[in-house]
Amino acid sequence: MKRWVLALVSILLIFLLSSCGGRAPLEDLTLAFILGVDLDDENNLTFYELNPVFHKGSKKGLEAYEVRAKTIRDSRRIFDGLTTGEVVAGKIQVLLVGERVLEHAGWFSILDSVYRNPNFSMNTRVVAVKGPVSDVVFYNPGEKPELSLHLKAVIDKSYDRTRAVKGTLQELHREVYEKGMTPIISEVKKEKKLELSGMALLYNKGKYAASLDVPESTLLLVLKNEKRHEVTMTIPIFPIEKENNIFHKNELSFQASRVKTKIKTGYKKNAFHFDVKVNMTVNIMERIFPEDKVKKAELVKLIEKELQKQFTDLIKKIQKKKIDPIGFGLYARAYHYEQFKKVDNDWGKALAESDINVSVNVKVNAYGAVK
Amino acid sequence: MVKHNKNQITLMQYIFLIHGVQVGVGLLTLPRELAEIAGTDGWISIIIGYFLSTVAGLLIIQVMKKHPNGTILDLITHYFGKWVGKIAALVFGLYFAFLASIIFIRECLFIQFWILPQTDMFILMLLLSIPTYLIVRNNIKVIARYSQLVFFMTTWMIFFYFSPLKEAHWLHLLPVVKEGWIPIFTAVKVTIFSFIGFEIAFFLYPSLQKKQKASAGFIIANTLTLLILLTITIVIFAFFSPDEITQFKEPTISVLKIVEFKFLERVEIVFLSFYIFVISTTVLPLMYSTVFCLSQLFGAQNHSKFVGWYLLLNLVYIMFITQTFDRNDQLSKLVQPISLFLAYAFPICLLIYVSIHDRIKGRANL
Repeated sequence: MKRWVLALVSILLIFLLSSCGGRAPLEDLTLAFILGVDLDDENNLTFYELNPVFHKGSKKGLEAYEVRAKTIRDSRRIFDGLTTGEVVAGKIQVLLVGERVLEHAGWFSILDSVYRNPNFSMNTRVVAVKGPVSDVVFYNPGEKPELSLHLKAVIDKSYDRTRAVKGTLQELHREVYEKGMTPIISEVKKEKKLELSGMALLYNKGKYAASLDVPESTLLLVLKNEKRHEVTMTIPIFPIEKENNIFHKNELSFQASRVKTKIKTGYKKNAFHFDVKVNMTVNIMERIFPEDKVKKAELVKLIEKELQKQFTDLIKKIQKKKIDPIGFGLYARAYHYEQFKKVDNDWGKALAESDINVSVNVKVNAYGAVK
Repeated sequence: MVKHNKNQITLMQYIFLIHGVQVGVGLLTLPRELAEIAGTDGWISIIIGYFLSTVAGLLIIQVMKKHPNGTILDLITHYFGKWVGKIAALVFGLYFAFLASIIFIRECLFIQFWILPQTDMFILMLLLSIPTYLIVRNNIKVIARYSQLVFFMTTWMIFFYFSPLKEAHWLHLLPVVKEGWIPIFTAVKVTIFSFIGFEIAFFLYPSLQKKQKASAGFIIANTLTLLILLTITIVIFAFFSPDEITQFKEPTISVLKIVEFKFLERVEIVFLSFYIFVISTTVLPLMYSTVFCLSQLFGAQNHSKFVGWYLLLNLVYIMFITQTFDRNDQLSKLVQPISLFLAYAFPICLLIYVSIHDRIKGRANL
């Protein structure tokens, strides 16, 4: 008797197990790999979605859709009507944000669903698109692997070579809320081919402020102390007349094996002071000019001078825009909390008024295998 | 009277039982609650809470030393008489019952929100109730073994938290003591509840084999809890910006959303699934204490019937009243003053009374 009751109860319980009912075979799902947000000419929100097709009959491996909807969640309703399977958002690799969207402050709030819904991955890379998002989503790289993989690989590789930020949803969230810094995301553009064009610097509410090209992005990341596996720069060592310089005979490339940026803070006369010290140990990878052109001792000085100029220019550009992608505000808060608290609602302005000095210290480790 | 001699627990089991009861659902929201009050200085409040709870726990053990072969209920009966003992059993029983229910329901709410959003709460609770019943109907020794097993089964999970450290910004923790000490002391009102659960020492003491080690064991258990709370809180404070952390309801889970392996995504779900075990080491001893008190109250020999009724009551409760995080929060706010009294104030009062009583009695005997 007791055994029967036990058996009956066990069988009943097995039916209760939740995983038996809601099974979802991969073929029946539409996994969104890329989600795009843009505005059309009449400022209507437009959403793009790119998903792989698993059906045997299909020739193209990918399909892309463009819909007009009110919000991200609302767009799912329309995507569901267009695709074969249920649209699933958990695997979005790249979130593309169009230039026209970035021009409006407060665009960040349309991402609310992404943060509120636990199904979304926080590692989705947020990428700004210079130009319309449709150019990227409907772009068919042909020989290359599928677009979302390609785009993600481009970002990740550049991130490893200290040329781009990963710019995940988590990082973006942090940078938008953090008062002591402003957000950065990587930027791509599609002209003939799709390429990484650098970074987009945003104001605190997410509005577009400025773009950096790839070499400037490296400089910025060095200042942020975010050196990854490799830092390579190519810089001019001495000025040269334009017409004689087909082969850029004034350039030098190096790879920095050690980069350490120290930021010291001070507060004097109602303004913040930042002392930025960049220490680098470099290996020279390329020297186009002949050896006797510059003496060894002088060479290091010239590298330092050129780098210092580039860093200073970059910081001036940032100060002019009243943004703080480097995060000087974090240092200000940590070491001058009371003064920072007074200006934290408009930190960009306070940074623009503060005094930033950059000094560069270069040590050359190796000059290469040839003289 | 329940016999304690047969069901003795070792020092290790005693440590993990107390530690297990302390660490549970609270840890999931603790960093946010601290940040709301004290910003990134909240970790200092944890240390203050640790000292307060250690003192309270040591007082409990001092009280229990006066009557080493019985639980707190026997002690109260011994000093105050049978009826006061019954009232104490009722008070402790109801307190543990409410505490266990609130945590049990909260556990289900977390599972439902993060892992199984489509599943009915009733089914989740029913499924959890079955293993719960199978363990809690046994004696304290089985529960102690379970706590020990779960501890060793789940300690590795702390390593998940070293992964977000790659993106940590230690500058967030500076300056220490940003806004003065007042917010830090205010936040202690959150952290003393993070250590709540040690009051089961009132019931564990008679079962402990080596009673001379009770204080040391308690301090080890409490320190273990401190280390876990502190590690996770500091990781979270270094990872999230102080301006954004209050945006996340359960930062302890949210922080894991960025951890990703080649072969595994959404680590937070794996984490939370294992964390159910950790929560169970809070719920099960509390439920055991509930039914222990009830069986004492009714003078019953066997408490397994009470376990069944208690779980059934819980199921009926959630069947008829829709559970939300807000309601759960309100309920736990209601229980907090009782916790504060039973775990912190009560041992002090009791110790003073018992000491005076013994002294007077000692004089009378002269």
